[in-house]
Amino acid sequence: MKKTLVLLLIAALAMGTVFAAGSKEAAAQSGPITLRLSWWGGDSRHTPTLKAMEAYTAQNPNVKLEGEYGGWDGYYQKIVTQIAGGTAADIIQIDQPWLAELASKGDVFATIDSSMVDLSQFDADFLKNYCTYNGKLLGLPTGTNVNTFIVDANMLSSFGIDPNTKWTWENIITEGRKINQKDKTAYFSGATPDLMRYWFEIYIAQLAGAVVDNNKKVAFTQAQGTEAFTYFKRWFDEGIVAPFSQTSLFYQKFQENPSWINGKMATSWTWVSSMDKDIGARKMETRQFPVMAGAKNSGVLMRPSQIFVVNNNSKNRSEAIKVLNYLFTDAQALELLGLARGIPSTTVGRSVLAQKGMITTMAEKATNEGIAQAGLPQSVYQMNSEVIQVMQDVIDEFGFGKLTPAEASAKLIKNLEATLATL
Amino acid sequence: MHIRKRYNYTGYLYILPWIIGFLLLQLVPLINSFWYSFTNFQLLGDPKFLGLENYKKIFTADPTFLQSLKVTSYYVLIAVPLKISFALVIAIILNQNIKGINLFRTLYYIPSILGGSVAISVLWKYLFMNQGVVNNLIGQVGFKAVDWLGDPRYALGTISLVTVWQFGSSMLLFLAGLKQIPVSQYEAARIDGAGRMRIFWQITIPELSPIILFNLIMQMINAFQDFTSAFVITQGGPLKSTYLYGLMLYDQGFKFFKMGYSSALSWILFAIILFFTSLTFRSSESWVHYGDSL
Repeated sequence: MKKTLVLLLIAALAMGTVFAAGSKEAAAQSGPITLRLSWWGGDSRHTPTLKAMEAYTAQNPNVKLEGEYGGWDGYYQKIVTQIAGGTAADIIQIDQPWLAELASKGDVFATIDSSMVDLSQFDADFLKNYCTYNGKLLGLPTGTNVNTFIVDANMLSSFGIDPNTKWTWENIITEGRKINQKDKTAYFSGATPDLMRYWFEIYIAQLAGAVVDNNKKVAFTQAQGTEAFTYFKRWFDEGIVAPFSQTSLFYQKFQENPSWINGKMATSWTWVSSMDKDIGARKMETRQFPVMAGAKNSGVLMRPSQIFVVNNNSKNRSEAIKVLNYLFTDAQALELLGLARGIPSTTVGRSVLAQKGMITTMAEKATNEGIAQAGLPQSVYQMNSEVIQVMQDVIDEFGFGKLTPAEASAKLIKNLEATLATL
Repeated sequence: MHIRKRYNYTGYLYILPWIIGFLLLQLVPLINSFWYSFTNFQLLGDPKFLGLENYKKIFTADPTFLQSLKVTSYYVLIAVPLKISFALVIAIILNQNIKGINLFRTLYYIPSILGGSVAISVLWKYLFMNQGVVNNLIGQVGFKAVDWLGDPRYALGTISLVTVWQFGSSMLLFLAGLKQIPVSQYEAARIDGAGRMRIFWQITIPELSPIILFNLIMQMINAFQDFTSAFVITQGGPLKSTYLYGLMLYDQGFKFFKMGYSSALSWILFAIILFFTSLTFRSSESWVHYGDSL
């Protein structure tokens, strides 16, 4: 008797997890629908999103919405792991470059068509260029995000530089060097190694069209690469930018550099969507980027701030798309969300916020400037994480003075070709 | 017969949680990763069998593998001996009969409780960055600021200090070992006229040698696999000078999602650790003294 009891106990313990999983699935099929939304952001995004979700539940009592949110760090890793493990949320906020990277590995996102969402609210080119993979629309863009050049006008003035200068590649050096000449601890640019990579990509885009083109080929020549590196060598030599030994610690976090926070660096490249965070307590203005004469492509990037996709494994795909439709087009939702994900991408979204006076002039000005200057979208290969790493490694070596411009150009081309061949 | 069988089952029942945990959370992933190391598994999609392709690429066409192996070896060579000697010195100090010694023992253990956490790594970053606390302090006494974490020559050393600083658990083991050494041995040595250093080298070190061996092996295994401080503080930079093996594993697995390649790298690391651990065990026959053989 006791033996049987013990055996039963063992069986029960062993089966416990299996039963638990089984009963959970059964519950999901009957009764109210539960949908999970996941996104990254700060409190200024979490709070409005949760409010909009509450409002949706109030209108649709049969749907329960659960938010899974946190910061940016590790978000991509979490999402990919969840997708692989079959535990991803129903609605997922992703960054634009991930769409192609993930969709290329399988049917992970549900296709969205006009019968489910009023697609006329969105810019057709935007949907086609940034949210479509292999002819299928896989996500909806939250807002328009563009590169912007932020400058501290007061700091520039105090070093005798006209804050309204129209920036060219040349006057960045001839004007910008005045700062470091007067104060050895101050610099024109706040660029960290990763931001130097963005500047390099802009310069090459203007010279050659792109670093890597849509045919998976390196798009610049040895001479063009050398020209670009020769130009940026002057940034280091003339004190436009701080040495990498001082900035590499703030890789991907230039806004945490005390020199930046304390107003010892006057300008930076950034995205409009992260502009507020980057500027912090400083007072800054936005400017347009330098563009060389005869540029093939301004290199100024424009893309969706984020993209919402629906998990193809979700049991309630159509309900999930309904939620997206609400978040993107319902006046109440749009008002609740405000600028939580940048200036909305839908016509109705922009008009609701304009009516309520919720679009800040700085963000609007920066977005309009950026759209006016925007170049061609980068190829999916140039946005590939391994390609980015190859560029970054060469730029690091160049920035630490281990490579001459010509060597850097040759090494970059060689390493890019090797990596592209494996993609 | 009847009773013995029942006992067996009860025993299994007690260890069942561990068995389930071991099978599901350790053995299955272990076997999986061994299999993945021969495939191009990318987390999404089905893995394709590649044979020895991943291993071949690691040894012949991956410069970061060599760089990271070099960095990791330096790291182990710097951090492990420093940490163990530091732990031993502090343990000897804390073995004295001083008033309030328990308070000091607790204080010295605190860094190990805080451990290799992200918070400590962030703290370290602010201590050692260009305008950090350390540079401010040495600036006060007239020295020039050093790029502790930004200069490829110093960054690894600075990162190693985080590890050395967490000497607490090794120290506790040493302290326990010191308590085990019979006072009579010290007394006899002193009567025979042995000096402090002589006593240290002839009595303390041989008596502690089993614990030194244990600490050496555990710390070596940990150091080979270390990840947090390099990931949080320098992300492997500057110029990959702190690109520890664990960081490379993570990048290949979770930045590029090349799980197959990453699995192959981790089996190589396993082999390396196994080699050095058994080497240490082998060598221990000549320098470790167990109490009963004295």
